[in-house]
Amino acid sequence: MRVGLFVTCLVDLMRPRIGFAALKLLEGAGCEVVVPEGQTCCGQPAYNAGDAATARGLALKVLDDFEGLDWVVAPSGSCGGQIVKAYPELLKDDPANHARALQLAARTRELTDFLVNVLKLEAVPGRFDGTVTYHDSCSGLRELGVKAQPRQLLARVPGLLLTEMGGCEECCGFGGTFSVKFGDISAQIAERKARNVQASGADAVVLGDLGCMLNIEGKLRRMGDENTRVLHVAEVLAGDA
Amino acid sequence: MRSQAMFFKARVGDKLADPVLQENLGKAKSKFVDARARAVAEYERDEGADFESLREAGRAIRNRTLANLDVWLETFEQKAGERGAQVKYARDGEEICRLVVEIARRHGVTKVVKSKSMLSEEAGLNKALAEAGIQPVETDLGEYILQINDNEPPSHIIAPAFHKSKEEVAELFTRTHGRPKKSGIEEMTREARETLRSHFLSAGMGISGGNFLIAETGSVTLVTNEGNGRMVTTMPKVHVVITGIEKVIPTLEDFATLMRLLPRSATGQHISNYVSVLTGVKRPEDLDGPEHLYFILVDNGRASLLGTEFQEMLRCIRCGACMNHCPVYQTVGGHAYGWVYPGPMGSVLTPLYTGIANALDLPHAATLCGQCSVVCPVKIPLPELLRGLREKQVDMDLRPKSERLALRLWGWVARRPSLYGLAAKLAVRYLNWLAEGRDRIPLLGIAPEWTKGRDFPAPQGRTFRELYAERRRREGR
Repeated sequence: MRVGLFVTCLVDLMRPRIGFAALKLLEGAGCEVVVPEGQTCCGQPAYNAGDAATARGLALKVLDDFEGLDWVVAPSGSCGGQIVKAYPELLKDDPANHARALQLAARTRELTDFLVNVLKLEAVPGRFDGTVTYHDSCSGLRELGVKAQPRQLLARVPGLLLTEMGGCEECCGFGGTFSVKFGDISAQIAERKARNVQASGADAVVLGDLGCMLNIEGKLRRMGDENTRVLHVAEVLAGDA
Repeated sequence: MRSQAMFFKARVGDKLADPVLQENLGKAKSKFVDARARAVAEYERDEGADFESLREAGRAIRNRTLANLDVWLETFEQKAGERGAQVKYARDGEEICRLVVEIARRHGVTKVVKSKSMLSEEAGLNKALAEAGIQPVETDLGEYILQINDNEPPSHIIAPAFHKSKEEVAELFTRTHGRPKKSGIEEMTREARETLRSHFLSAGMGISGGNFLIAETGSVTLVTNEGNGRMVTTMPKVHVVITGIEKVIPTLEDFATLMRLLPRSATGQHISNYVSVLTGVKRPEDLDGPEHLYFILVDNGRASLLGTEFQEMLRCIRCGACMNHCPVYQTVGGHAYGWVYPGPMGSVLTPLYTGIANALDLPHAATLCGQCSVVCPVKIPLPELLRGLREKQVDMDLRPKSERLALRLWGWVARRPSLYGLAAKLAVRYLNWLAEGRDRIPLLGIAPEWTKGRDFPAPQGRTFRELYAERRRREGR
C-alpha cells in the first residue's frame, strides 16, 4: 500500500517532528510512505480569503503531486478537509479535474482516521506517563468526522490517561487569517479554551491540527502557564512527545 | 435601521473590555447551548427518531417553498383574502413605514402595541411611527426593556435584551416606572405586565411579526413565550402583520414539522409557551380578534437572493441557534454586528440586504468552525455562504490591495517548490532569530494582531523538507 504523506505547510515550517512522527506511525504499520518532494500548501488560506483562483491553482498542484498513490494522509483535519471538501467544490466547473478531485477526496484521510479505519491499527509505539485532554479541531470534527479515532488510539498508549475537558468541541479561536484579522477576538476565544484545558487538570492538551496547536500554546504561555504541554496526537502515539 | 456594520472592528474593543457584557454573554451562552443539547437528546430518546432526519425534513420544506415562492405567496394571498385580510407588499423599509402609518391613520390610531418583529427593526418602524405622531409600545419584555432604554437596538433575534443583566434591568425599571427597586425577575416581570396592561387596553392597533405564513389556510403563526403576542393580535381592533416574503410555507403539516425544530433549536424547549395560528378577521361568532387584518409582506432584498448561491439563506427560520453556538458572537455579543441580525446568519444577511461594500468585516469575522451549520435546524451551510461573500468581495475588488497582492504572491511562490522551500527556510531562520533562543516570540512585527493577546510559538528549528532531505541522504536514498 503506497501512502502519500501530506506534510502540511505548518508542520513543515513549525513542527517537523510531527511529520516524522506521522512517518514513523505509517511505516511502523507497514505502509510504503511516499513524501512527494514538490508539495507545499493545500491552498486553504487563499480559499478562506475568497481568492478562489489562487486556491484552484494550488488544488491542481496537489492533484499532480499526489497522483497515482493509493492513499493520501495528512496529520491535520484542516488540510484534509480542504482536499476532501473544498477541492471538488473549487473544480466543479472543470469536468476532467473535478473527477480527479473527487478521486483524490475519496483517497484522502486525516491521520488518526486512517490509522483506525483503514489500517485498523491495534498497537501504537508510544508511551506517555500522564493525563491528557483532547481538543477536537473544527475541520477534523465537523468536516471529516474525526472524534472517536484519536481517542481510540490514545486509549492504547500505555501510561496515558484521557480526561475530557468542558467544551472540547468548541473552536479555539484560530480560524486561519481570522487570528490576525481579529486578533483580540481570536485571543479571547483562545483564553476560554485555555481555561477549559487548565480546568481539566491534564498534564497536556493533545490535538490534531497545527493552527489550534500554535494558538492554544501561545495563549497558555501568555497566561503564564509554563506547565501544560501542547502536543500533536501523532507525537504522542509515536512516542516522540 | 441604519446599518453600522462597517464599524464592526472598531466596536469590538469596547465589547471585549466590557466586564458586565462579558459576564452576561458567558451566562447566556451556556444556558442556550446546554438547553438545545438537552432538548435534542430528549427528542431522540422520547420520539425514537433522530434529530438529523428532522433537520433534513425542515430543509426540504423550506426548499420546496422557495422553489415556487411566487406560487405559495399567491395561494397565501388568496386564502388570507377569503378570510377578510388584506395582503400588501413592501419593497423596502421605507415602504413598510409608509404602509403602516397609512393604515394607522385610516383607522384613527394614535397608539400601537407591538410584539416582536425583526422586520420592524429592518424598517426602523418605531421612529417612523413616532414621527407620524403615533405612539409605539413594545410589549415583548426584552423589546420593552430596550425601548425604555432610549430605543437601544436588540442584540439577539429571539432574546433582544440578551446582553443585559437582571441588575441593569432593575435599575432601568426603577428609573422609568418610578417605583421601588425590585430584585427578583418575577417581581420585575409583574411590574412590566402592570405597566403594559393599560397600553394593551388603550391601543388602537397591534403590530406583530410572523414566524410562518401558511399558504393553504392564509394564516400567520406566532411562536412566543410571554403571551403578549396574543394580546397584541386579538385586543386592538386592527392587527398588522409584518413579515418577510420568505416566511411562507405550504401547509399546516409543514408547520407541525417546523415546530418540532424551532423551539428546540431556539430555546431548548419542546414547545414554546404559546403557539398561535391566526386566521382572518373576527367573525360574528368569535369572542375576540381584530376587525381589520393586514399583512405587509416584505422583500427588502430577499427576492434578489432567489436563484443565486445565497438562496439557501432564505430557509432561515430565525431561531438564533447559529449565534448561540458561535464563538465570535459569544465573545462580542450582538451589537458589534451593527444591524438587525447578528451572529453567522447576520453576517450573511447584513451584506446581502444592506450592500456587500457596507459590511466588509462581517463575512471575515468568523473562524469558519462550522458549529453554526451543525446546529442550524434547516441546514443552511453558513460557513460556505460566508466564504462565498468573501469571494464576492474579491471579485468586486473590495479587498485591500496589500492583501490581494500578498495572497497572489504567496500562491505564486507556493506553486514553485524550490523557491517555496527556500522561502520557508528563510522564514524559519527569521522566526528563530526573533525568538532569541526561547521557545516563543512575544512580539511578532509581521503579525502584531497575533501577539497582542498571546505568544507566537517559535519554530522547532529547521523545516521538515530540510530534515527529510538530510535523512534521505543519510539513508543513501
